[in-house]
Amino acid sequence: MFSRLLSVARRQRTGRGWQNWSSGRSGAPAAEAHSVALPAQAHVVICGGGIMGTSVAYHLSKMGWKDIVLLEQGRLAAGSTRFCAGILSTARHLTIEQKMADYSNKLYQQLEQETGIQTGYIRTGSIFLAQTQDRLISLKRINSRLNVIGIPSEIISPKKVAELHPLLNVHDLVGAMHVPEDAVVSSADVALALASAASQNGVQIYDRTSVLHVMVKKGQVTGVETDKGQIECQYFVNCAGQWAYELGLSNEEPVSIPLHACEHFYLLTRPLETPLQSNTPTVVDADGRIYIRNWQGGILSGGFEKNPKPIFTEGKNQLEIQNLQEDWDHFEPLLSSLLRRMPELETLEIMKLVNCPETFTPDMRCIMGESPAVQGYYVLVGMNSAGLSFAGGAGRYLAEWMVHGYPSESIWELDLKRFGALQSSRTFLRHRVMEVMPLLYDLKVPRWDFQTGRQLRTSPLYDRLDAQGARWMEKHGFERPKYFVPPDKDLLALEQSKTFYKPDWFDIVESEVKCCKEAVCVIDMSSFTKFEITSTGDQALEILQYLFSNDLDVPVGHIVHTGMLNEGGGYENDCSIARLSKRSFFMISPTDQQVHCWAWLKKHMPEDSNLLLEDVTWKYTALNLIGPRAVDVLSELSYAPMTPDHFPSLFCKYALHVYNEVMSVGQKYGIRNAGYYALRSLRIEKFFAFWGQDLNTLTTPLECGRESRVKLDKGMDFIGRDALLQQKQNGVYKRLTMFILDDHDTDLDLWPWWGEPIYRNGQYAGKTTSSAYSYTLERHVCLGFVHNFSEDTGEEQVVTADFINRGEYEIDIAGHRFQAKAKLYPVTSLFTHKRRKDDVELSDLHGK
Amino acid sequence: MSSTLPFWILNSARNSIATLQGGRRLYSRCASNRNKSRWRLFSQGPGTLKSSAPCSGFALQKAYRHTSTEEDDFHLQLSPEQVNEVLRAGESAHKFLDLVSGAPNSVLRFESNQLAANSPVEDRRGVASCLQTSGLMFGIFDGHGGHACAQAVSERLFYYVAVSLMSQQTLERMEGAMESMKPLMPILQWLKHPGDSIYKDVTSVHLDHLRVYWQELLDLHMEMGLNIKEALMYSFQRLDSDISLEVQAPLEDEMTRNLSLQVAFSGATACMAHVDGVHLHVANAGDCRAILGVQEDNGMWSCLPLTRDHNAWNQAELSRLKREHPESEDRTVIVDNRLLGVLMPCRAFGDVQLKWSKELQRSVLERGFDTEALNIYQFTPPHYHTPPYLTAEPEVTYHRLRPQDKFLVLASDGLWDVLDNEDVVRLVVEHLAEASRHKPDLAQRPANLGLMQSLLQQRRAQGLRAADQNAATRLIRHAIGSNEYGEMEPERLTAMLTLPEDLARMYRDDITVTVVYFNSDSIDAYYKGG
Repeated sequence: MFSRLLSVARRQRTGRGWQNWSSGRSGAPAAEAHSVALPAQAHVVICGGGIMGTSVAYHLSKMGWKDIVLLEQGRLAAGSTRFCAGILSTARHLTIEQKMADYSNKLYQQLEQETGIQTGYIRTGSIFLAQTQDRLISLKRINSRLNVIGIPSEIISPKKVAELHPLLNVHDLVGAMHVPEDAVVSSADVALALASAASQNGVQIYDRTSVLHVMVKKGQVTGVETDKGQIECQYFVNCAGQWAYELGLSNEEPVSIPLHACEHFYLLTRPLETPLQSNTPTVVDADGRIYIRNWQGGILSGGFEKNPKPIFTEGKNQLEIQNLQEDWDHFEPLLSSLLRRMPELETLEIMKLVNCPETFTPDMRCIMGESPAVQGYYVLVGMNSAGLSFAGGAGRYLAEWMVHGYPSESIWELDLKRFGALQSSRTFLRHRVMEVMPLLYDLKVPRWDFQTGRQLRTSPLYDRLDAQGARWMEKHGFERPKYFVPPDKDLLALEQSKTFYKPDWFDIVESEVKCCKEAVCVIDMSSFTKFEITSTGDQALEILQYLFSNDLDVPVGHIVHTGMLNEGGGYENDCSIARLSKRSFFMISPTDQQVHCWAWLKKHMPEDSNLLLEDVTWKYTALNLIGPRAVDVLSELSYAPMTPDHFPSLFCKYALHVYNEVMSVGQKYGIRNAGYYALRSLRIEKFFAFWGQDLNTLTTPLECGRESRVKLDKGMDFIGRDALLQQKQNGVYKRLTMFILDDHDTDLDLWPWWGEPIYRNGQYAGKTTSSAYSYTLERHVCLGFVHNFSEDTGEEQVVTADFINRGEYEIDIAGHRFQAKAKLYPVTSLFTHKRRKDDVELSDLHGK
Repeated sequence: MSSTLPFWILNSARNSIATLQGGRRLYSRCASNRNKSRWRLFSQGPGTLKSSAPCSGFALQKAYRHTSTEEDDFHLQLSPEQVNEVLRAGESAHKFLDLVSGAPNSVLRFESNQLAANSPVEDRRGVASCLQTSGLMFGIFDGHGGHACAQAVSERLFYYVAVSLMSQQTLERMEGAMESMKPLMPILQWLKHPGDSIYKDVTSVHLDHLRVYWQELLDLHMEMGLNIKEALMYSFQRLDSDISLEVQAPLEDEMTRNLSLQVAFSGATACMAHVDGVHLHVANAGDCRAILGVQEDNGMWSCLPLTRDHNAWNQAELSRLKREHPESEDRTVIVDNRLLGVLMPCRAFGDVQLKWSKELQRSVLERGFDTEALNIYQFTPPHYHTPPYLTAEPEVTYHRLRPQDKFLVLASDGLWDVLDNEDVVRLVVEHLAEASRHKPDLAQRPANLGLMQSLLQQRRAQGLRAADQNAATRLIRHAIGSNEYGEMEPERLTAMLTLPEDLARMYRDDITVTVVYFNSDSIDAYYKGG
């Protein structure tokens, strides 16, 4: 059967037209596919024969897995893959995305040689235009990050742009970024080549076979039900693209995959009079919202308009993406933008306006990983129209994840478990993707917040805080105050406050920080994930001692700050656990851990009816009192004595009442509200690493100086212990370090964000993970990991304290390097009075 | 004239109704004091009928509080933008794909809209495609005595039709899936307006009854399923009998039980069309109407009615009623143009007061329902001797679509009371012409990018001034805004839209319109392709 697919691929090549494409395919005999019986069993069933599904199949089979079945409801590579514009671009905002695209690029380049199937791979390079200085800064940031992972790119002048591309109008440009190794390739042919290679490695491919639903027993995949019969399997991979959402919900145990399609338009033209060279670079004019590539001597140009058209909100049932209606009126702004950029195209003949729906996710990042609800159910979808660029790398990471239990890179930013159930509502998704799609080409400035789909989860104090001027950010669907705008203060409008420089809230946050340091502030931290673990006997303590790296056998009422590690010693979660009684524990984790941590605990906790895990996030409002007068306020509110030595666990049912009391009692101590920006500044200047930003599944406690919080010497077993012992013996290969920027002018220079390259003695040594302005030090502080790359081989070597201390450091912000002092320990002068250990433990709760 | 208008309205409004509700709705013009409530027994005040009645106490308070400032308020006007906003709130439209499973689709698109007079609205509409068989379904459901029955029928009827049309094999697969507790394959794909509500809580009960129906169909052992005409006939009657039986059967869950009582004791007329290729079937029970807009070869437009209103002005219905009841009742079956002097339409879903025997009604209601809280009006009309007087049996019309058949209009009687068939066809034709006039045509696509750009910019500039994008909105605009001479009067339109909630029903009815456009090219292709 597979030979037929290959012949189709070859036929397609002879007439490289989109139109030929569809007619060539529909000629394939349908009866043939029907006659093939499905196997009764398989190890893995992959649903979806687009570029994602075939890439996963390709990588799984390469890693030696057998019994892989790939099912495609229509024909291979016939969905979004078929209509893909074919641009492979490595200039991405996230490092993990850059790495995926880079790997894809290398994979596709050699695919033709490997499989004998032509993929149309041509290295054209791409040019990203900047019409404004802000855009250029954004490009410079990407540029510095691309260079350090070995992808060549440079910032070029408008004049150079004109030399690289014959048709471009460069008069309104301030600069551009050139990425010479970017390519164009036929996405459908790549998928067919991947399928062909996978097939040679034993993957069985069946087209015209629809997955009806996945069979699940006891939270574990047991098989799939298709329209051609059942297949038993241990693993299921949902690569169903547009259909992934519905497929996920079709199980008895539904899997929420938050994505939504929007229509996406691009234009195809006839060849120019002097046909464009096939290696003419691809142009991305984000300020004009368009991309332009050469296509058969003419051009292919599409874009991401401001007013997207969401589609299939109610679900859809068509087998393949029909060629949807063209909408020229809708395309008009993009067409005008194209003609502004390339005025000579006015006389170019139109061939077609293609409408191909693309799927988008709530945070513009793709979705991969294992479902928190069903073990063995993996997902790789929601590519935000970068499927071709990501497919190779994403397929590889997912395959590694399935084969080894974890991918070789930390992919938390892309993990399905970053979403909660609330983000799966169709209404939410519809609204959110209408914001996400234009955002692809909007300027992405530090600390932007989504505007749509907000107020999904709020604290009971929301209204009260809002009335006091709170400005909100959203995390995991939860509204959290960023800062409080005083009544007399007038902030700039949202659009204007987008800046890479000093933000307009600087003074506001400063006064909040000052109040935290000198008096007392109250911060609503209700968004934090809260679990309660109780048991009838000692089971709770026993299992927690095994799951967490710090010793939890503490007196009742004490709080322990501990990591929840994986086998490799990396942080799956970094949390605080309070012992409420001998047999019950209260666990506080970062907001976005709600799904991830729950899934991890469920997976590792024994089936024991006497052991109860409960998500009590909703049940408690958390108020955090910060500052030297916090104890005074609390003492006045409670009859119980309050000292750092004795801080009783008190739970009160009336959040609003408590808040009011705190505020009224606190008045004489100068109490005020504070937001997360103040907290963030405080935690970063005190060198507190935060999970999800500084810490991830590939960082261990030893790498961030938290050895004292690990019970290595207590003779107790816990997950990750062996890895840590080994690391202790061998040394660490990276070390979280705090950097204080020296020659950085807060008012005039670009602010650091995260992801800035760190240079040690002029050599690249790692990237920052978070940064904030320290109002105490009056300097910017960045946290980041320092590696020791061998100068000769680039291999990672052991990082010692000595290595850190002996280096001269620079942080690269958008191409400008600032000198920085490295610290392995918090600056002691920050602690105005001697703090006790418990006190420090408490402040760890503050988070970011 | 318009300057004196408000005060006259004000007075007439004050005289005619006690519970004048001021608030944001400003003033109204009384077109004629025709009270169009279907249920005459309740017609003294539409407010008493409403399911929002539990809060009528508040409404009263508000009304009394609001008397002194009324005159001032009455000078406020809705801006044309606000008028458009109100009119467009219920709009929905959908363009269908050119191809359905490889064959050209005879339906191009539909445009629909709804304007409420009752509060809450008692009309319902539905558009869905059958997923297990081919065909699109469009329905209009006009409720009376509450919205419960219309809601239930709008949710359930299409399922009955879809199931009736299924082949034996498909039914077996459905049954198999149910038996093994697997997810059912989807039956319908709905094209809903975001505002359309559904009874989420009772769907499992409804599914059970649907299943009983298909089990019975299975027992008939018909290879191909029913033909469309039979399917429509059976579905209407089956659903009506299910509605009637559900309330008689003991139901555990109180909410479901109360709801099924409300459904059975309210009523709804229904008109639905099933389009599959060139085969158009229209089933109608009651006084909703479906007409076809036909353009002859000479370019002239005409109207082809596809339904007959089932009311007292329909001679065939009168004779049917006389035939079905003893001669002694000849003079009492229809009194004052109403069935038993009570109900305007003489076919409808629900309304068990006109279907059940007195004994049955009593025994059901005596089972401890709180009829007052549920807004169920219990009564026996005079001369109630030989029930049932009312049926949900539809009249089914078949029409083979021709290339000259351009559009189908389905609407509730709220539209037809004000506009006649010819008006409606004329308005839709005008709408079509205007739409194409306003926008330079894209059909002859300019060859190059520059020409295309200037054409698109022209279209955009003109599009800004375009009136209604949706033919249904245009129909509603004219239905409520035209004067006696058929001319649009903006003041009148504004007045009609700003009627206080409680008054609105006296001047206009709920209006629901769906306009379905056919694709003449694909219809042509059917004939050419054989």
